[in-house]
Amino acid sequence: MKLGALAHRLIWTAVGLGLLALVSYELSQAGIRPIKLLETALLPMTPLVLAAVGECVNERAGVINIGIEGIFLITAVLGVFWAEVLGSGLLGILMGGLFGAIIGGILGVISTYGRADQIIAGMGLNVMSLGLVQYLLMAIWAFPGIHVFPRELVLPRIALPTPIGVLRISPMTIAAIIITLLTALLLYKTLLGLRIRAAGDKPEAVDVAGINVNRVRIFASVFAGFLAGLGGAFMPLAWFGGLVKEVSAGRGFIALAAVVFAGLNPILALAASFIFGFAEGLAFAIAVTPGVKEVIPFHFVQMTPYLVTVIILAIFVTSRRFPRALGKPYIRE
Amino acid sequence: MYIALIYAQPIQRWEMSSPTTRGEVLVEARRVVKAFPGVWEHLILDHIDFDVRAGEVHALLGENGAGKTVLANILSGFYTLSEGEIRVRGRPVKIKSPLDAIRYGIGMVHQEFTLVPSLTVAENIALSIRRRNIFSYPVREVATKVRELSKRYGLRVDPDMLISHMSLGEQQRVEILKVLFWEPNVLILDEPTSVLTLEEANELFKILRRMADEGKGVVFITHRIEEIMRVADRVTVLRLGKKVGTLNVAEASREQLLRMMIGEFEPFRAERKPPRIGEPVLEIRDLHVCGDDGREAVRGVSFTTHAGEIFGIAGVAGNGQRELVEAITGLRKAVRGRIIILGQDATNKSPREVAEMGVRHIPEERRRVGVAEAMCVAENMMLRDYNIAPFSKKGVLDLRLIGEHSKALIERFKILAPDIWNTEVRILSGGNIQRLILARELWRAPKLVIAFHPTYGLDLKAVSHTHDLFMQLRDKGSSILLVSEDLEEILTLSDRIGVMYDGRLVGVVESEKATTEVIGKMMTGM
Repeated sequence: MKLGALAHRLIWTAVGLGLLALVSYELSQAGIRPIKLLETALLPMTPLVLAAVGECVNERAGVINIGIEGIFLITAVLGVFWAEVLGSGLLGILMGGLFGAIIGGILGVISTYGRADQIIAGMGLNVMSLGLVQYLLMAIWAFPGIHVFPRELVLPRIALPTPIGVLRISPMTIAAIIITLLTALLLYKTLLGLRIRAAGDKPEAVDVAGINVNRVRIFASVFAGFLAGLGGAFMPLAWFGGLVKEVSAGRGFIALAAVVFAGLNPILALAASFIFGFAEGLAFAIAVTPGVKEVIPFHFVQMTPYLVTVIILAIFVTSRRFPRALGKPYIRE
Repeated sequence: MYIALIYAQPIQRWEMSSPTTRGEVLVEARRVVKAFPGVWEHLILDHIDFDVRAGEVHALLGENGAGKTVLANILSGFYTLSEGEIRVRGRPVKIKSPLDAIRYGIGMVHQEFTLVPSLTVAENIALSIRRRNIFSYPVREVATKVRELSKRYGLRVDPDMLISHMSLGEQQRVEILKVLFWEPNVLILDEPTSVLTLEEANELFKILRRMADEGKGVVFITHRIEEIMRVADRVTVLRLGKKVGTLNVAEASREQLLRMMIGEFEPFRAERKPPRIGEPVLEIRDLHVCGDDGREAVRGVSFTTHAGEIFGIAGVAGNGQRELVEAITGLRKAVRGRIIILGQDATNKSPREVAEMGVRHIPEERRRVGVAEAMCVAENMMLRDYNIAPFSKKGVLDLRLIGEHSKALIERFKILAPDIWNTEVRILSGGNIQRLILARELWRAPKLVIAFHPTYGLDLKAVSHTHDLFMQLRDKGSSILLVSEDLEEILTLSDRIGVMYDGRLVGVVESEKATTEVIGKMMTGM
């Protein structure tokens, strides 16, 4: 990556964070405490950053998965199911990751060995998941569209003392940040990362080196699916405490937006996810704050995260250099 | 499944461990056959015997499509063979992948580079490291070894440079280093000089020699006889998948090799009837055209071509020829001046309107502009005439007629294509694509032909066919505007020659008075 482009992106990220700080200051005047705002921002950030970091790796390897939303939906339901079976929210989230990895693996195989059109495969996954979630809700709990599980299954947040107060943060959020850093190391400071980056940019080079391009890509897909699955199961089990049929509400697409914004850089994907998560946390905070909620209509506030996504993409995403072989199956002969 | 990926098995180095003795057969191919069943009827490689010995440069000579690259790809594990046997230092082996080939001490430098542009030299080479923990990052060690190798063989390369910042010559050095990193016994280079300048090629030959002297076997693929005479010890000639023979270069003559390469065949001789000049066809009056950078690339060009003559435009690339052609064919707007075709104003008309006036265009970039690569042969054949009767009626294509028409043209223009409906043009060779374009543009003897580098990159036979075709068209009364950097082509074909320099037509010479010297002087602006 050119230093100029990276600097450019960092500057805009800094500007975004600065604006957020300004907004939080204004809101603190209106009675919303910054620490609360941060808490409500970190929750929506977590599934976004998990899925976005995974997808960065996936797209670096040359596989594009626009079916993150589908993975979110399916793993949310399956995560709750297994949490109830195993009696643990954390195990439920991990099971969500497992099923995400399986879906990612299937997508990986059909887009490498199957030579499928990856956009269509991802769309298929999204569309299928819409119906599958409603079906699973009926099939498992025999109740249409919604399921509430015991409170004990919700992964508790831990208290973290900070200079601006005690932050109640989910252990999954901390895990997501660590995963982001480790992924950045994986991509830029290991042989495996080298292979992943090469597989997306010039798969012939990987093949000539005697490394199976398809295996590298499937590994990336499984990895991306696993992280998206964690994110999907996180939503009911560590955030909402309940399950509705539209549980992910388009967050899979926002995660894709974060990937594009980040230009496939995991660290920037974390920053982008935080900005998008902040928008959602802000909407939530506004919606419940007395004195503010009477002024700004509820439905308008609910629109904020999506509006922020559109605005950020429209303004900042001009030219991104994506891997040359992104979305193209590798065929040797 | 990923255990294998994480802890790749150690490379067995028995094949490479012992030093080679001069003259020892390192790799041998016996009765090798390669077929692409269902795609090509004839065999790509037809029972080929081939061997490389330690200490020699063995050249593989042949025209486009002779099977040189396929043979090399089989030796380097990129393709699998259909029949036959490969022996490495006397032992029969199965080379199933490029990794196998590396294990057996065979390394190949491909014609199309396989470097990752977004990585550095050292990173690109580290990419081929297999028996290491995949979470390690030995790029620095690689860089050290690269420096050492580049000193040993005189290959100047900075290991920390990004590939995307390198020239083609530098990239090729990296490709060679990438292979040398594994210290192979046999090094195969596929058309290594096609992207090099003369100076870079000379340097490469020195390096190849040095490697052979070290006891390696070097396989050098080329279609240029001159290079073989300069660097090779032995040469094996292939023609259309068959082996013609293996010779010691010291005992071979250029003429002999040429005959072996192209077969019994007379190159086209310029026996030209005097032109029967007809009415003016293309009139250019004081034409000004801007280039991509917005500056005037064509600056006041005027000339007239007539029916029954070939008007050649010579010039060094980038002196306004491309812009001139694009303006005539409607692909670029003229700023000033007039283009008149058969008495009608054709200035700044759309490409389609120009085509409807009877103009046909053989473009410079045949793959990008000349064809739709992802479409099949028959569809490409109809890109000009798809919308006119009898090929389409009331907007419906007559596929049966189109099929027959395409088949007839394939026959007439000798295009090698396995099938007209199921073959994407992408898989055809450059020569066949050009023949397809010629067939599509010229089958109906157009009034005016604009040909831009029509024979660039074609083999001798194809060049000769094309020249033949142009002469026939001229004698039938077409007017041909031939733009080419190949001075010999211009001198052979043209009745009159215009020379472009710095956007201007610096002169027009009758072909009888034109010599390489006169034209050459005008081309350099003297």
